[in-house]
Amino acid sequence: MRALRKAAISVAAILMIPASTSIAQNVQPIEYTLDNGMKFLLMPRDEQPNVITAGWIANVGSVNERPGITGVSHFLEHLLFKGTDTVGTSDAEQDQVFRDQLTAVRKNMRAYTLDVQYQRMYRGEIENPWDPANDTDELREMRSEMTRLQDEQSQITIKNEFDSLYTGNGGSGMNAGTSQDFTVFYINVPSNKLELWAWMESDRLISPSLRELDAERFVVIEERRQRLEATATGKLGEQFDSMFWVASPYNWPVIGWMSDLMSYTEGDIREYFETYYQPANLTGVIVGDFDPADAKQLVESYFGRIPNRRPKAAPLATYSVPLLGEIRFSGECDCQNQVEVRYRSVPFGHPDEAVFDVMADLLNGRTGRLYKSLVEDQGIATGANASNRAQHYAGSFSFSARPKGNVELAELEAAWYEQLELLKTELVSDRELQKVKNGQAADTFRGLQDNSSLFFQISITEAYGGYEYLNEHPTRIAAVTAEDIMRVANEYFSADARAVASYTRRGGAEEVLLTIDDVRDSLPEDMVEMVVPQLEMQITALASETDASGLQAQLDEMEAQQGMVPPQFQTAMKFVKQQIEKRISEIESGSDSAEQGGDE
Amino acid sequence: MRSLITTTCALMCIGSGALAVAADIPTHPADISFEELNFTPPSPSDFRNELSNGVPVFMASSDEFPLVTITLSFKGGAYMEPDGMAGLAAMTGAMIRTGGSSMMSPSDMDEEFDFMAANVSAGIGDRNANATINCLTSNLDDAFGLFMDMVQQPRFDSDRLEVLRGQQLEQIKTRDDDGLQIALREMNFLMWGEDFFEARQPTKSSLESISVDDMRAFHASIFNPANMMVSVTGDFDESTMLSFLEKSFQGWESGARSPEIPSPTHTFTPGVYYYEKDQPQVQVLIGHRGVQRDDPNAPAVEVMNDILGGSGFTSRITNSVRTREGLAYTAGSVMRSRVEYPGMFMSYFFTKVPTTALATRLVFDEIDTIQNEAATTDEVETIQNNIIETFPRTFESKGATMGLFMSDERTNRPAGYWENYRERVRSVNSQDVQQAANDYLHPEDAVILIVGPWEEIKKGNSESEADEARIATMEEFFGGKATQIPTRDPETLKPVESQD
Repeated sequence: MRALRKAAISVAAILMIPASTSIAQNVQPIEYTLDNGMKFLLMPRDEQPNVITAGWIANVGSVNERPGITGVSHFLEHLLFKGTDTVGTSDAEQDQVFRDQLTAVRKNMRAYTLDVQYQRMYRGEIENPWDPANDTDELREMRSEMTRLQDEQSQITIKNEFDSLYTGNGGSGMNAGTSQDFTVFYINVPSNKLELWAWMESDRLISPSLRELDAERFVVIEERRQRLEATATGKLGEQFDSMFWVASPYNWPVIGWMSDLMSYTEGDIREYFETYYQPANLTGVIVGDFDPADAKQLVESYFGRIPNRRPKAAPLATYSVPLLGEIRFSGECDCQNQVEVRYRSVPFGHPDEAVFDVMADLLNGRTGRLYKSLVEDQGIATGANASNRAQHYAGSFSFSARPKGNVELAELEAAWYEQLELLKTELVSDRELQKVKNGQAADTFRGLQDNSSLFFQISITEAYGGYEYLNEHPTRIAAVTAEDIMRVANEYFSADARAVASYTRRGGAEEVLLTIDDVRDSLPEDMVEMVVPQLEMQITALASETDASGLQAQLDEMEAQQGMVPPQFQTAMKFVKQQIEKRISEIESGSDSAEQGGDE
Repeated sequence: MRSLITTTCALMCIGSGALAVAADIPTHPADISFEELNFTPPSPSDFRNELSNGVPVFMASSDEFPLVTITLSFKGGAYMEPDGMAGLAAMTGAMIRTGGSSMMSPSDMDEEFDFMAANVSAGIGDRNANATINCLTSNLDDAFGLFMDMVQQPRFDSDRLEVLRGQQLEQIKTRDDDGLQIALREMNFLMWGEDFFEARQPTKSSLESISVDDMRAFHASIFNPANMMVSVTGDFDESTMLSFLEKSFQGWESGARSPEIPSPTHTFTPGVYYYEKDQPQVQVLIGHRGVQRDDPNAPAVEVMNDILGGSGFTSRITNSVRTREGLAYTAGSVMRSRVEYPGMFMSYFFTKVPTTALATRLVFDEIDTIQNEAATTDEVETIQNNIIETFPRTFESKGATMGLFMSDERTNRPAGYWENYRERVRSVNSQDVQQAANDYLHPEDAVILIVGPWEEIKKGNSESEADEARIATMEEFFGGKATQIPTRDPETLKPVESQD
């Protein structure tokens, strides 16, 4: 029930053959397609006896939504744990009556809210049109009718029966995840319980009840609060994403906008289900200790029953438009200062994807370029890393870093552009490239050692276009050359097609005053002797300065030039600015001991 | 398993339409008959070897992938930190890995491991320390020599130390950014006392005071064969591996054994505590001391907590707070056991500001119910079946199994514990569950810890709820009395003076 954000599930590569070993790996699941179009990939494996990881993936995610129903993929994923026509109720017939009545009330409430309550909001009479505290008499009446129906229905509801049936039979780790591109459901079951899995999963694909919809709506809203609103950079990151993707449907959050979360009705959700959860849009994946012949029979009798209720869903028409300029976003939060620079890269399976992956590895890790340069040599960051995220319809490549001490975010950004310049102008050495490839090769084996990791790799690559990727990508990694890296760096990382986000600590107004020692530490060694004495003289001269407006003019000029000052002089510049500001306030307050850094 | 006739029909009928097949499918999963799952837990003695210096080695090989993993595990950890040096254990562990070795500078060592694609880690936790290498079997000879140099003679390079110290100092500035982090920290402080190792937190001054000499001494007191056990998994030959280890550890002096783990002396005062933070969602923890690992009632306590809040959707707190009322995405309870002393029971949920009191009431109601009414046989059986049926997963991976055997030997887990585990769980009945709820849950002596905007939380949902039957305020708990935990400076953890 997680909304998968960022690269929550990374797809490791497979089939790299390091020079030192002759063992080849190949992921070859047994492929099997039912008459209704549902595909199965079976991967028997006896290294972990008695257990199976089983699940299925649907080619649907938030990209398939539209304004008004954002978050519905994720919400539907939640509702698919609410039982079926028969599981979760003691009286299926009566339950259906309640569901129909609730649907009708909910529809009326929505129509009324979108009309009357939204108007009241637009006119400034109320803040939140969905808050029960703002109910009109009519709405209050509808709400109490809904509560009455819910209370009555709950008399015949068997709460969480879907979960209990698995739990009591040794199912564990039951969960699901929704991303922008796919929705995946999975569980671990003992080897003798594969039929239970087939029963449960096919049943929820045939007749999901979508019961307890309203209570679940509030659960998802709490999830939204927990993940986005109560986390340090959550809400800001959501808006940055939105700016970055422009036209692409990646521009809204997987969990949905709050207004939409409040508004969907059962009809919206059922229609979405019938469109995207047809067998022809699903792939089942089973990994672990089982007999494939038995599994085929189970799968055929259980999943073969699922009807295709609608014509095949139309493929996505909107593709992302390129960035035509630089986007800058800055915001304050209860967070450590941090900066991100993000570019468009390529979709999953694009020939350049492997080049971006190698590039990220070159930059990351303790022997990667970012750590060596920003953390160790320059000492300006506590951490820095790069990541490439190739998604179904587009990709992004990000640099992000957190400063050390009082270092300005602009300095980290400048340090990244220097690294980028190196990638654009100098070929990577053979040894550096080989190191990355060796690491990738060993990681291919590491990623295959566990049933659930194998399950995710197979199912997600399949949703993105075919599990064969797992066997092809390592070959592509092995083929990446130093020239490829230089070409890709030049082609994709341009200054007028990037997005930069700066997050700074809220209330960070009490700026720490820099000292001349801070400046000394920040300068390249050979510059210290030249710059520091000069600065000290300037500061001394400043003490006798009495023209506040002249100083202010100097300050303004410095602000204007800030962008042109090389990163190694940023601290020195900030120091001078602080000293001037201090002098101005001393002059203006008519004292020589003006207070510093007062809280607002 | 399905009968032959059903199977045949399934194969033949599939072409002729879905309905024919559907007829063979049981109408409810309770009607499916499952084959018995035969599982006997592995016995440590089948995997245990001993080197000539007395160091136990647990080995399990597999040739699925050309990788090998060797873990050296040591008794010793943060509980041994001297006063004023909180953070020494974690920093020493990190520096062993990142600070170079006698043979190589830090960056050369990192470069060498990376080029060989060897994943190497080292760390010192609360109670145990470890160092692990995972690499291609073909690289083991080369990589292990360097690994052992790192473990035995870490360099503690001073430049790397300053990088790490800088990171730690930045890290502690973020301590109050996340409400859950605050809640867990303050709960541990209240429960164990600020100086007990389970609760202790590094501060600016403790981090700044840690020197290379402190780390050398701390490393020497833990990383020696007297404290060590070894596990090996992956692709290797067992007898070759034993002599390889024997040779690699030759001449390593045994040293002194780490002291025993201390017990807490702190007593806590029950009541409502709050920590002011302006946020839309509130974190609530309700806790008190829990159970000891080898307590004879531990199986009943485990079943009881799983019914109450420890088994996800199937448990009562989740059902009530999340499923029925929609007040939280995360809600449940944990019963943490400790070997040396009772651990901690804790119920938790995160909810929006106005429903904090209502959700708290629901949790107390569930505790009250499990203490005063016998759980149904169905509920008890569902949990028992779950524990029993998922039992094989404890031994799912060879690495985890070897790790468990090392930990069991170090903590003197009673012999036959795993062999009889399922029977002990099976023998728990409804009365035992109720008895355990009364003996091990103490709502009247609990700490309720709340992080959020207190003035609003206090009022509960009296102003915002349309439904009068659901109104709850914090007046309901401990006579409406609440203690404010002063906001702390994240770097020093000392109370900061009020800004207004």
